[in-house]
Amino acid sequence: MSAISVQNLTKVYRIADKEPGLKGSLKALVRPQFKEKVAVDNLSFQIEPGEIVGYIGVNGAGKSTTIKMLTGILEPSGGKVSVMGRDPHRQRVANAREIGVVFGQRTQLWWDLALIESLNLIAKIYEIEPALYKQRLHEFTETLELGELLRQPIRSMSLGQKMRAELAATLIHDPKVVYLDEPTIGLDVVVKERIRAFIKERNRIAGTTVILTTHDLGDIEELCQRVIMIDAGQKIYDGPLAAIKERFGKYRTITLETAHAAPAGLALPEGVFIEGQEESKLVLRFDRTLTTASQVAAAVMAQAEVIDFNLAEPDLESIVKQIYSGALSTATPEVGSVV
Amino acid sequence: MFSLLRRRLSIYGAIMALIPKQFMQYSAWFWAEMIGQVLAMVIVGSFWRAVYASSTTVGGLTADSTIRYILLAQLVAPLVRWGMILEMGGLVSQGGVAIELTRPIDMQARMFAQGLAASLTNLIFKSGPLALFGWLFLGLTFPTDPLTWGAFLISWLLGFAALFCFDWIIACVVFYTTEAWGLHILREGVAAFLSGALIPLAMMPSLLQKVAAVVPFGQALYVPVGLLSGLIPLSGAPKAWLIQIAWIVVLLPLSRFVFSRAVRAVTVQGG
Repeated sequence: MSAISVQNLTKVYRIADKEPGLKGSLKALVRPQFKEKVAVDNLSFQIEPGEIVGYIGVNGAGKSTTIKMLTGILEPSGGKVSVMGRDPHRQRVANAREIGVVFGQRTQLWWDLALIESLNLIAKIYEIEPALYKQRLHEFTETLELGELLRQPIRSMSLGQKMRAELAATLIHDPKVVYLDEPTIGLDVVVKERIRAFIKERNRIAGTTVILTTHDLGDIEELCQRVIMIDAGQKIYDGPLAAIKERFGKYRTITLETAHAAPAGLALPEGVFIEGQEESKLVLRFDRTLTTASQVAAAVMAQAEVIDFNLAEPDLESIVKQIYSGALSTATPEVGSVV
Repeated sequence: MFSLLRRRLSIYGAIMALIPKQFMQYSAWFWAEMIGQVLAMVIVGSFWRAVYASSTTVGGLTADSTIRYILLAQLVAPLVRWGMILEMGGLVSQGGVAIELTRPIDMQARMFAQGLAASLTNLIFKSGPLALFGWLFLGLTFPTDPLTWGAFLISWLLGFAALFCFDWIIACVVFYTTEAWGLHILREGVAAFLSGALIPLAMMPSLLQKVAAVVPFGQALYVPVGLLSGLIPLSGAPKAWLIQIAWIVVLLPLSRFVFSRAVRAVTVQGG
């Protein structure tokens, strides 16, 4: 059985359509007008137990709406959702027992109370065996470095501390499925690293299925083997991360450091472009379907004295930019399943 | 069945136990409210003394019984006031409702447990000292018969439950309007009069008494305070309880039905 099964899922919002100004406000008061907005449009996918899936898309693409339907908060307008064999909206409370959710900008912790008070209460609510709770609390305290935070009220915590606390609260009952909505938003590199390590560890130890929405491609690269990408409520890509890199990382960048300025009118192989040129630095971008890094380097070496060079890995951010800007429609569908 | 009930009680008991701890976090707020309450007791007491300066009875009630009732009502009013509409409004407008709906507990039961715990906390930390103040400086006396206290407590709990369900229904409107302030002000204004917090309901014109009888505000304040102050005789307690239970029997299923509908309208603001 899939951990999550989504079939033809659709969500249509009815939103107030108000003209600007006082006149518009008065009009809306007397005769409110509404328009419909399709937030999620005929979406289908399956997620197997133990997978970590990156769910990505631009702002307003429908990511959060999907997560809210998967968690049972929103009722779908059409289609079917099943999480661990349950309809999350109709069986909301039973479903809640099996899942954990982090909404990046909201907290499930009691604002005024010490973290340990919130965790103790969550342990009660989810009826965790006291010995198991103690053991997990110990493990989490180690991995997330919660030691001193346990006695601190949430309101006095920094953003990074709060997110560590939030993750502990979300995973302490060992949920089968976890939804992480922007868990690393606004955090520094060190905290991000710690959080990613924690998510990886829980996935490895407990086999937790993780759905991760993020704008941070570092999260995706580090955690996800699979990526589902949506745009305007529709799925535009579903497949392995490696394939997406392979497919859209057509261009690579090589930076060469030369003893003297490279001569003008440098002869370069086909598919190579000069991206930047300073006194002793030459940045070249090449199409790796037409030429190779060694051919490019050899061509430059024949014409200038090269001291050092560096080959950059395909950058996921630029790949995603390409995909968002419609590169998929012109791509060939041999990797992943492009819709 | 019994073990399920025990497990539930243990969960909601743990939620209730957090409330006094939360309460202790805001000492400035506590003192501000205490001063406000003391002032209200002094002002209301003086007002009614002035009213009785020119006549011995008003609406069939003597000065002593009215003032006693009013001062006791001031002590009990904070025990049936919880600002639920504003809380629900905050949850809906700031998206906290998303968190509420992903907890494996009943949201209504959770809020009832918290409301009850807040009232019990207020009873100990606010009403206790205020009662002492009333006794020392305003000539407030208390019943000595334990049966009267028992009747009051039962009636307060029943009234609390009835009003909670009523407020829950009103608060569900927020799911559709996503705006709570106006609704809250309207509710508080109506409740101040129709609960009997300012004037004993028995003194009101018959039309207003009829209106008061069809909303449950009086059930939560006038009835328990009436029993405590002697305005409603102890022999009338069983009938009063039955009426309160009838309110609960009607409002509880209705409130659960309304919530089950309202939750479908939830849009969760802000992404």
